[in-house]
Amino acid sequence: MKPMFSMPPELYAKMLDNLSNLFFTEKLGLDVDMNFYRNDFWLSDTAVIESLQHRRGVWEINLLFAHYKTPLKFLSRRITSHSCRKKATSMAFYMRRLAAKDQRGTLSLDINDLHLSLN
Amino acid sequence: MNSLTTKQKILEASIRLFNWNDVANVRLQQIADETGISVGNLAYHFKNKEAIVQAVYENLFDDFQQILSAYLISPKLTDFGIQMEQYLRFFTKYRFYLIDLFEIDRSYPQIMERWRNCIGKMLLQIRKRLDYYVNSGIICPEPAPGIYDTLTDNLWSTIVFWVPRQMLKEQPSDEAAFKQATWAHIKPYLTSKGRDEFLLEVQPIMLS
Repeated sequence: MKPMFSMPPELYAKMLDNLSNLFFTEKLGLDVDMNFYRNDFWLSDTAVIESLQHRRGVWEINLLFAHYKTPLKFLSRRITSHSCRKKATSMAFYMRRLAAKDQRGTLSLDINDLHLSLN
Repeated sequence: MNSLTTKQKILEASIRLFNWNDVANVRLQQIADETGISVGNLAYHFKNKEAIVQAVYENLFDDFQQILSAYLISPKLTDFGIQMEQYLRFFTKYRFYLIDLFEIDRSYPQIMERWRNCIGKMLLQIRKRLDYYVNSGIICPEPAPGIYDTLTDNLWSTIVFWVPRQMLKEQPSDEAAFKQATWAHIKPYLTSKGRDEFLLEVQPIMLS
């Protein structure tokens, strides 16, 4: 006979409780729950930072949009990728210039705004 | 593949014979005749009767686990109805279980242990299902401590002993009567929401 898999009754009862609770916890969300995703006005006050990452043989260009007053509010987007690093670097530069609100780059981030603890 | 089919045929024939004659009274020759093969061929697949009994119980526990895994797939009352139908089909297919219960306890203690384990899970599932229906407002909160434990026991014994009960009464164990009997335990505790759901979703299936 196959060896029997068994679990203590208390554990099985707990597992059944969790299964029952799924119907109370997993409810359909509301439309307003997605507002944080749609509301992108804050992106107009962001500093744009380009980032190059070598991944799977290509150079990925990511643009990081960080709010200039609250830098922890940021969004990273992968824009494109290029096989040549040099081309990817110049492409990233122009991408950043295109995406940034002020092309001269006066919106910048201050490291002190992050309140980093180096302990 | 062919061997598997013959094995399956032997097990099906054994289940039929166990239901008619009880496990202890069935001989290998009868199983071979019922399957339509020789005893030698039967011995090729199963070395003795004990191996057949163990394989039959293996199938029985697999089927039972299948029913247990259908716990609360949907939050509706009909979900319980579906599981009850599966239980009825199971206990009709393996109706030798009751006659064989005491013999199993003596001769195959590990099978009995597994059986008790399955029954324990079944009881827990019924109890937890009642708790879930209370929380979702389908049945009323427990009127007094222990009432729903008793209800669980009553539901369980109706499901498990329905087939032998009908056999003793010399009545057919049809599905509609079984559903009537099991739902009769729950109906008095339904809230107005539960009654509406019962009338809309469970009753039409019961009558069909």
